[in-house]
Amino acid sequence: MFNLPTTNIGGPELFVLEFGDIVTYFSPYTAALFVFALIFTVLAIVSRPERQVDFAFGGDAYYTKVVDPDLLRFQRFMAIACGLATLGAMVTGDVFNFTLFASMVGITNIGIVAAYRNRHVLNAAFQYGIVAMLASIPLFGGAAIVLASTGTLSMWELFGGAMAVPLIAKAFLVLGVMGEGMAPFYIAKAEITRAQGAPFILMVHVSSLLLFLRVTEIVISM
Amino acid sequence: MDVAYPVGLVVVAAAIIIGFTALVREKDDLHRILLTDLAEILALVLIALVATDLAEALILPGLVVGISELMAVSEVYIAKEGLRAPTGPPFRIEVMNSAPGILALILVAYGIVLSGFTGGVIAAVGAVFYFMCRGHTEQFELIETVSGYAWAFWIGAFFIFMFLPGYWFFGVMIAGGAILLKVMAKMSLVGTMRGGGPDV
Repeated sequence: MFNLPTTNIGGPELFVLEFGDIVTYFSPYTAALFVFALIFTVLAIVSRPERQVDFAFGGDAYYTKVVDPDLLRFQRFMAIACGLATLGAMVTGDVFNFTLFASMVGITNIGIVAAYRNRHVLNAAFQYGIVAMLASIPLFGGAAIVLASTGTLSMWELFGGAMAVPLIAKAFLVLGVMGEGMAPFYIAKAEITRAQGAPFILMVHVSSLLLFLRVTEIVISM
Repeated sequence: MDVAYPVGLVVVAAAIIIGFTALVREKDDLHRILLTDLAEILALVLIALVATDLAEALILPGLVVGISELMAVSEVYIAKEGLRAPTGPPFRIEVMNSAPGILALILVAYGIVLSGFTGGVIAAVGAVFYFMCRGHTEQFELIETVSGYAWAFWIGAFFIFMFLPGYWFFGVMIAGGAILLKVMAKMSLVGTMRGGGPDV
């Protein structure tokens, strides 16, 4: 796209596992992203939600908030599922699998946000859900156009340079990932960063960031 | 790729424009969910336009992801609006007492003859109808167990394809039977979703 030699973007491959023409691989770039996602998934597994304290203004009194165990369990499950989907999106060597993992990140992000029962938070989660659903049109559409125009979904073959991927397919992929990874912007609108379950909210940001980094690599390399 | 593909793309583009215009104009949240679901069908249409075996295989995961997103958003909508299940007398008509046994038997038997995805759906319709009419007494564990084993058999059949291609017919039969059970188990859960209890 910017006349970059494609082999130099991700670096040399570290590990290759072939399933037919679909090749799962690690380059230094994706391996770094994978390790980053892995660290945060482990953090989501081992961390405990913070217990918040509200101080009564002008005195020594304070309230401690209790964390509902059911809510905690649901949020932690969603955070771990989000981490696993992100890990999958980092290692996959198939364009359609990447779009599926991106959609799964979108679903789990809705789950993480919607676990908190507050009207404003639920409103934001609803709006984000609509956007994430609409984003699956360009996301799957992009993968379908790649398949229609080149006859393969394997990144290994698409990155080779022999195939010409139409610009509209790349644009659709980026647009779709933008929609699925948009959760942090809605989070900022909602007051969820002040809600309980703070460590799990991190997963929303991490997954969104990593999805953007990965789709950038894919689109530039194709 | 003949002339059908570009024409189809143009039709889909027009449909996307119409759908998004409707979404911008619609203010009611429930209607927006419905419109979003309609718009998501267009993603499947884009995949289906490719019209190869691979595209056919890609439609199913696309559909599953779309449905799960729709369910998540619907749950958020229910929680947001504080909706509750309506209470009232259960729906009963005479045919719901007499028909379920024989109809379910016919449909399940025909589904087993068909096997595979189609057979699973046909058999599941019979099971759904039976559960809806006769009620259900907590057979969820059994259904889940059967579904889990069927999934394992399905994956095992794929390993046969990969490592022992000579036994492909054996693999086809295992995969066909397992996917029949899997789809049937998944869909028969739908029949139990109307509030529970013996009277539907």
